Amino acid sequence: MDATATTTTMTTTLAGFSREAVEELSRRKGDPDWVRDARLAAWETYESLPMPKRTDEEWRRTDLRGLKLDRLAPFAGFNGAFDGLASLDGAAEDGGLAIGSADQRAGLVVQRDAATLHAEMDPALVPQGVIYCDLDTAVREHADLIRQHFMTEAVPVGFGKFEALHAAFWQGGTFLYVPTGVSVELPFRSFALSQEPGASVFTHSLVVLEEGAEAFFVDGYRSETQDRQSFASAVVELILRKDAKLRYVQVQDWGRHVWNMMTERATLADDSELKSLHVALGGKWTKNSIGSHLRGPNTLAEMLGIFFADGDQFFDNHTWQLHEAPHATSDLEFKGALKDGARSVYSGLIKVYEGAQKTDAYQQNRNLVLSRTARADSIPNLEIAANDVRCTHGATISQVEEEHIFYLQARGIPRTEAQKLIVEGFFRPVIDRIPVEEIQDFLQGAIARKVGF
Amino acid sequence: MADSTQTPMFEIENLHASIEDKEILKGVNLTVNRGEIHALMGPNGSGKSTLAYVLAGHPAYEVTEGSIRFNGEDILEMEPDERARKGVFLAFQYPTVIPGVSMANFLRMAVTNVRNARAEEAAADGGVAQKMTPREFRRLMKEKMALLKMDDAFATRYLNEGFSGGEKKRAEILQMALLEPSMAILDETDSGLDIDALRVVSDGVNALAGPEMGLLVITHYQRLLNHIKPDFVHIMMNGRIVQEGGPELALELEAKGYETLRAEFAAN
Repeated sequence: MDATATTTTMTTTLAGFSREAVEELSRRKGDPDWVRDARLAAWETYESLPMPKRTDEEWRRTDLRGLKLDRLAPFAGFNGAFDGLASLDGAAEDGGLAIGSADQRAGLVVQRDAATLHAEMDPALVPQGVIYCDLDTAVREHADLIRQHFMTEAVPVGFGKFEALHAAFWQGGTFLYVPTGVSVELPFRSFALSQEPGASVFTHSLVVLEEGAEAFFVDGYRSETQDRQSFASAVVELILRKDAKLRYVQVQDWGRHVWNMMTERATLADDSELKSLHVALGGKWTKNSIGSHLRGPNTLAEMLGIFFADGDQFFDNHTWQLHEAPHATSDLEFKGALKDGARSVYSGLIKVYEGAQKTDAYQQNRNLVLSRTARADSIPNLEIAANDVRCTHGATISQVEEEHIFYLQARGIPRTEAQKLIVEGFFRPVIDRIPVEEIQDFLQGAIARKVGF
Repeated sequence: MADSTQTPMFEIENLHASIEDKEILKGVNLTVNRGEIHALMGPNGSGKSTLAYVLAGHPAYEVTEGSIRFNGEDILEMEPDERARKGVFLAFQYPTVIPGVSMANFLRMAVTNVRNARAEEAAADGGVAQKMTPREFRRLMKEKMALLKMDDAFATRYLNEGFSGGEKKRAEILQMALLEPSMAILDETDSGLDIDALRVVSDGVNALAGPEMGLLVITHYQRLLNHIKPDFVHIMMNGRIVQEGGPELALELEAKGYETLRAEFAAN
């Protein structure tokens, strides 16, 4: 699909991230000059920022030392050849999120490593001015929109060290633009896949909903487990103008060799509404930073999260509910289960700015620990600079109760099945809040497989 | 009590059990045969609920002596789910709330496990294994819910979550109706019920009881026994059965109270 994708089939051997690597990537991508300049400027920003330290509050429980950036190829896999969409659902047969059928989506973009494999949108949306394409295409065909929105507003280049690295090395992703007053019911699907060993994959989702626009966007990250470490960097920017409504779902199912960093910020203008769900299943090590800027009055941000860690997985979810305007509501519920020797950190901040009166903010993190060697940490935080607000937060870390197991066993259900039922029940209230059957079914299956026992 | 030419269905012999090294049951003997209804009465703390839990296999209790035989087979070493699949059922005094697990889903799993085990057993004995289809299950659930005057919406609610006392007890009897046990133990199923709910629940139990089922009804009060008529009454105190008789014993107890009985027992 992408013209540049077929220009080379060579796998990069360039290890480590450098200014030369940025130039090389830009050359292979055939970037317009302004994109190359922006990448190089971002590289300067990256170099000027210090590496996060364990003394930084956000990194206190999150050990970055295992990520060997100097041994990783910063990009790989420019070859966009593949055997058709059906061939990509191999993982889905084992329960991965499926690419699904064409009549169940408004558009589809598939990225594999540094190449775009496929990009399509329902042609009926073209006359309405909807844009859905891969980012390489977007920088060529919709330069003004990209210059205006790409890492300028939701996640600016200088947001942090790794966001700057992302701005220098982004190599795929998706752009969704829904013009004023246009509403699209079916989901726009985006898949980021990776198969190059020892390489990095950078994927970006930029969603812009103009005034009164409505859309549904589903991001999926997926790879098979490999021996060598990989690095995945994702940035998600969700920009909602006045009265816009967005449902956003993200399913992270990277292989167990992937060190994954994902930064997402949503900006909500007056009366807009975001409903998001983040599902983390895969990866060796994940650091998610998920935030909503409630910038206009009467905005609503529903932020749901599900994670399930097993083996030696590590998940870190940091969330921000940023009430910058009065009369806004945020409702956050993150639920996680852990087994084996897995670890998780949840840290959430509700921040109410001065003047953000009548804020209604809710934050809940519940963790179910299924083994003696698993460990969950939960750190809820409030920062309130207004005096007429309602903020509620709570965190629990618990185990499956023996009384629950006994009750189910007393009804003939074997112990392992009873545990499965209880863990599924733990997640069920969150799953029930996603009114999309396909995603509900996927989640139920994924949880059942994770529980395993 | 038992026909000596037959193996008793459910036979508790010299049962001693403790929790955290505190002995609660101090040598209980009780036999229940098919078609019999037994009432177990006694004051608070006498060990009635402990006995119910021990029969069902609660892991917190340790059996230190004695045996429980079901159709001649010692069930003490069996996990609670295995006992349930064999046909032992306990209606809990305080049913557990399990969030996120819908009644329908829970009941389907319970019924599938219990009935499939039974079907396999029948097949092993040369019969035909008849496993229940989802459609059959739904029909059966609806039918039994109607028997207990339960609303359809019940099935979609989470297990016991937000249930009133009466709803919880009805849900317990619904489970009994679906699992068709051959030995059912009802632990204070009358507690927390108003007169109307008591009638519905008792009618439900009476509809299920029959020549194939043994029933052990644990209660404080005579009033449940006006609805579910026992063949035998046992009185438990301090971890032992201290008195046994026919239905008239329950009436006598109601008149005299446990204190008189306690005094008599102490004097002996």
